[in-house]
Amino acid sequence: MTFLEISNISKTFGKVAAVNDVSLEIARGEFVTFLGPSGSGKSTTLYMIAGFFEPTGGDVRLEGRSILAEPSNKRNIGMVFQRYTLFPHLSVAENVAFPLRVRRRPAGEIARKVEEMLALVRLENFADRMPAQLSGGQQQRVALARALAYNPPLLLMDEPLSALDKKLREEIQDEIRRIHRQTGVTILYVTHDQEEALSLSDRIALFNQGRIEQLGKGRDLYDAPRTRFVADFIGHSNFIDCTITRSEGESADIVLPDGGALSGISLHGAAVAGARAGLMIRPDRLRLSALAETVEPGIDAVLADATFIGETYHFVLATGWGASINVRIPASRVQPDDITIGARMRLHWEAVDARLFGH
Amino acid sequence: MTVTDVPIAAPSPVLAAARRRGRGFAPVLPALALVVVVFVIPVLALLLRSVLEPEPGLQNYAAFFASTTYLKVLGNTFLVAGTVTVATVLLGFPVAWFLAIAPAFWSRLLFAIVILSMWTNLLARTYAWMVLLQRTGIINRTLMNLGLISEPLPLINNLAGVTIGMTYIMLPFMILPLHATIRSIDPAIFQAASLCGASRFQAFTRVMLPLTASGIAAGALMVFVMSLGYFITPALLGGTSNMMLAELIAQLVQSLLDWGLAGAAALVLLVITLAIYMIQLRFFGFGQARS
Repeated sequence: MTFLEISNISKTFGKVAAVNDVSLEIARGEFVTFLGPSGSGKSTTLYMIAGFFEPTGGDVRLEGRSILAEPSNKRNIGMVFQRYTLFPHLSVAENVAFPLRVRRRPAGEIARKVEEMLALVRLENFADRMPAQLSGGQQQRVALARALAYNPPLLLMDEPLSALDKKLREEIQDEIRRIHRQTGVTILYVTHDQEEALSLSDRIALFNQGRIEQLGKGRDLYDAPRTRFVADFIGHSNFIDCTITRSEGESADIVLPDGGALSGISLHGAAVAGARAGLMIRPDRLRLSALAETVEPGIDAVLADATFIGETYHFVLATGWGASINVRIPASRVQPDDITIGARMRLHWEAVDARLFGH
Repeated sequence: MTVTDVPIAAPSPVLAAARRRGRGFAPVLPALALVVVVFVIPVLALLLRSVLEPEPGLQNYAAFFASTTYLKVLGNTFLVAGTVTVATVLLGFPVAWFLAIAPAFWSRLLFAIVILSMWTNLLARTYAWMVLLQRTGIINRTLMNLGLISEPLPLINNLAGVTIGMTYIMLPFMILPLHATIRSIDPAIFQAASLCGASRFQAFTRVMLPLTASGIAAGALMVFVMSLGYFITPALLGGTSNMMLAELIAQLVQSLLDWGLAGAAALVLLVITLAIYMIQLRFFGFGQARS
């Protein structure tokens, strides 16, 4: 039996479809992230599971039972919000005790659980502080302790780190990973930050315009994007405009703007001969060579800019038809003396690293 | 885990420094002078008259507290002010809540109604209540036509009329501070309470009420203190047998020319008001949220 089953769920606001026929199955203990730009429907989907929005269609089943008829206070789901939602009139310990008090648990059990939860988020010494005396990161950790205090089978997290600075965000990501391992709770996490999604999740559901564009492990989304949107959203990508000369199933031949022809490129999305398409290559899969070596597949280009950004060099190359292409090369493989802005170079790649997306 | 971020509510160092130096005091002087001239001096004068007229001594205060009539007036005053305060809390809370959560159009419309009713001439509004509440007024006629009562209810020239009229007039003074408090609460806090398992009732008693207590207290203080000294509405809607303190003072001055006793009564009212204010300060500070 699937632990959490979201089937054909939709939500329209007026005439706008915020979530459009989304289906997803999640296993017990899994960490799944809803990733996507703002307005893509990821938070709306989470809020329907939480019970704050009523779906226009579809169903959500937790452990085989539909939860849509239950009000949010009966769903026994934990949630950490984007904004700080600790009760400002209650101390840290009283905040963590709140879900147990409304469930009328015995005082001894509450005291034990509060202690256990504060130890879990490493805030044992802050039990008597008021929320206003805590930093943003500490408040979100208390919110996490409060959301886990009643052992919910499912924990929802709606961009919980977006208000924090980068360094703190990374620290708390480590905490979340540790707590996920330690408790085994199933987590549904919403973010627009792809690095956060990649570093935290078992699987990522990439949302776009109310639909799941692609669902899979982070590495799969990066290496094998199925649509141009996924290729563009996850990691950095170059799209070289080209024209399809022949297409057959998932393979196509193309001609580049400089007249160079390439054949047998893996094609995603429908495209017929004569149609325009984008040839996608990751900046870290591109190589640069002296012009003398005509390596195929490749194009001739002019080095327009070079930036040293620590571990890598970032090069910008201008093609003969006026497009710019980004290239990243590990700093250890670049001799600073070899870099001459304005020099013509051969830009090339392995055939398997190029993917073609129809427009 | 190391903690690198700073606490959220850091006091402004500029404001703190200005406060230490006592700057910003000069612009306050004109208002302060006005308060001294039109409030402090007259109050002191009244205090003096209450202990000097008709001869020096505390006999005016003794007379006030010895008279069952005057004590009954004092009791009426407290009864009406208390009832009005409770009624405005009960009626005002849902309105303040609606103002905070309603869609912009409805919220603005309701806000305009509240403010406009406050801006309409007080006498006009009180006379309107006289029309509504009298024996042959709309309320009594409707109730009789519906067969709910056979005799007109005595709704005017008594404390019931005073309470009804004053509840209406005081309502905005409860709604406005309460609305400000409710609006400052992030609605996500109630979503969090709900997911934590709190029923609507538990979310109200355990989260909403504690978070709005300071607003309720501010509104209640305002309404209660204003009601204690209110004159026009009790004078028009009340009866001669059940006076409130402000009416008594007016009568002592205008009809009996007993400035000494009027001064004593006024001072009793002032002392009670200040005492209530001190209690409020003790528990809720100067209206800012406790941290």
